[in-house]
Amino acid sequence: MASSSHGHKHSNGLYTFSSRPRPVDSSSKCREPSSERTQYNYGNIMYDRRVVRGNTHAQHILPTTAQPDPAETQKQMIKKRAAARKQAWKQWRLRTPEALQGRKHIDVQTELYLEELSDHIVSTHAECQTDAFLDKPSTPLFIPAKSGKDVGTQIEEGELFDFDREVQPVLEVLVGKTVEQALLEVMEEEELACLKAQQRAFEELRHNELAEVERLQEQERRHSEEKERRVAQQKEVLKKERETAEKIAARAYTQQYLADLIPAVFTSLRNHGYFYDPVEKDIEMNFFPWLMAEVNNTLEKRYIAREMLDGHLHAIQWCLLNCSGF
Amino acid sequence: MDSTRAPVAFGRWDVPLLFGRLQQPEAAERLRSLASLCDLMRDPERLYRTVTGGFLEQLQDLLKDEDPSVRSKTCELLHLVTAHSIGRQAVLSSSLLPSLSQLLDDSSSSSRINALRALNCLALLPAGADALLCLVPKLMLKLQQQDGEDEDDGDDGDEEEVLLLSTISCCSRLDALPALASDGVSLLGRKLTRRSPEVRREAAASLMELSIPVEGKRQVCEGAVLPVLVGLLQDEDVDVRTNAAGVVMNVAIITAGKLRCLDLDVVPVLLDLLSKRLEEDERSKALVLYSLRALTALAEAPDGRRLLLQQLPLLARTTEARHPDIRRAAQTAVRVVTWTP
Repeated sequence: MASSSHGHKHSNGLYTFSSRPRPVDSSSKCREPSSERTQYNYGNIMYDRRVVRGNTHAQHILPTTAQPDPAETQKQMIKKRAAARKQAWKQWRLRTPEALQGRKHIDVQTELYLEELSDHIVSTHAECQTDAFLDKPSTPLFIPAKSGKDVGTQIEEGELFDFDREVQPVLEVLVGKTVEQALLEVMEEEELACLKAQQRAFEELRHNELAEVERLQEQERRHSEEKERRVAQQKEVLKKERETAEKIAARAYTQQYLADLIPAVFTSLRNHGYFYDPVEKDIEMNFFPWLMAEVNNTLEKRYIAREMLDGHLHAIQWCLLNCSGF
Repeated sequence: MDSTRAPVAFGRWDVPLLFGRLQQPEAAERLRSLASLCDLMRDPERLYRTVTGGFLEQLQDLLKDEDPSVRSKTCELLHLVTAHSIGRQAVLSSSLLPSLSQLLDDSSSSSRINALRALNCLALLPAGADALLCLVPKLMLKLQQQDGEDEDDGDDGDEEEVLLLSTISCCSRLDALPALASDGVSLLGRKLTRRSPEVRREAAASLMELSIPVEGKRQVCEGAVLPVLVGLLQDEDVDVRTNAAGVVMNVAIITAGKLRCLDLDVVPVLLDLLSKRLEEDERSKALVLYSLRALTALAEAPDGRRLLLQQLPLLARTTEARHPDIRRAAQTAVRVVTWTP
């Protein structure tokens, strides 16, 4: 253990000891050999079981008797075994071998300075008491010696701060700003009122003119409608007149034409022979052809007769000629 | 420090920090940040920075928050944003419109009113009115629901109606067909008889916009709205009278309208209005103009011409009015009355 503790004896017989401060090692059940301990296992002193805290009146201390009962020993052994089993998996720890029969292990302090472990705590009483007060005269008032000059000063009312004077600029600014704002607002309102009035005037004018325009439009429309109607009427009238004139002319002409028509027709018909006396016609139609036919027949007969005669005559003549010729 | 407002950082960091605070889980904290933001947004510089910094997208989540006061404050913030043109453009280009329109059905009335206010400001811009045109049927539906509620709903119900009506009239200025398609004429006709003059005024204004296209004029003629309007011509509020006269002026342009107006004997009423209001006050100038135009339109019908020929001196007097527009209108009226075919 690299302890930097050293104690040495002085020449005059005093012994001094000093060591560097080192933290308390956390206790381990079985101390490993010092050579293997490379690192101090620091532990928090507050949680160190070796530190006594709290009420010490019911402290659990080692029993003073060295010979415990066998039953108690048995209990302790059981507890130890249980604890041993709990920690068996952590680390195999070397334990002190069991005591031989008839013997027993006993804890012993091995420090340099032995302590008496008992539940009787050594305490000493100490008292102190102040002495009774002796009568003493009261101390006189301490008045230090006067040094320097005495000078007095007093601030009269109204000297440092004159409200009326100071408030003037602030008031001016406040009032000025308020009045300016108010003026601006009033001007704005006036402007708005002006605008509104102008708008109203415009609207009225517009309505007026619109009404006038519409009226004129309507008037125009009506007039033009009226005109058209009149024109149409006039056209109608003209047309009727023309028609009437045409009709009259046609009528006159027809009359004139037709007046001549009947005699002309009759004449033409008569000319064409459509009027006939039936007897005459009949005579003409039936009698005359028969008559003529008969006449023809008769004449034919005569001709034939004549021709026959002529023929005979010729024949005779020829015969005569022939006969005479000789 | 005011406990209802969150602390505001200095300089350029004020708006981003407050917007960062809006992500916190407790509603009270968010409410305080929103209240501070509302105060800050009245300044145009900060508004510009907010808009160009693109913080408006974060408001999208807040519009769907569970706490109604948070929603209502967000709508108020949006209303302040839309008070300036750059804010309006930003809101239009972002995707906040659908969420806003969903809030119109919200249960708490303050968030509804604030959302309506924001939409109203948006509708004043033509591009905004264009974007809101698709919302018009929904707005008409809400109007109908309002109709079903009690008459004495108090100021809140009235304000909602007024805002709804003014938004509808702004959108209809651009294009009146969606409103007409959702049966606008009869709905607005019912609103003409409400107690509060603002509601009547806005309803009459919307009717005036709706009666500009021909379809609208026909519907107004066919519905039972005209008698109510003629009654409104004698209302106490000048604006209501003006708007009613405007509707009559528009309706009298078509022939059916002329005939119905003449049936309802509207000419004496209009002449009455003219003679009373010959003084040059700004508000009544419109009334005079509209009445003159209505009379001009009515004078084109033969019956109307006959009636007005008798009143020619009155019209001649109006030609000497100081305002050039009124003079012109009166001259046109005289010309039309004395025209012969």
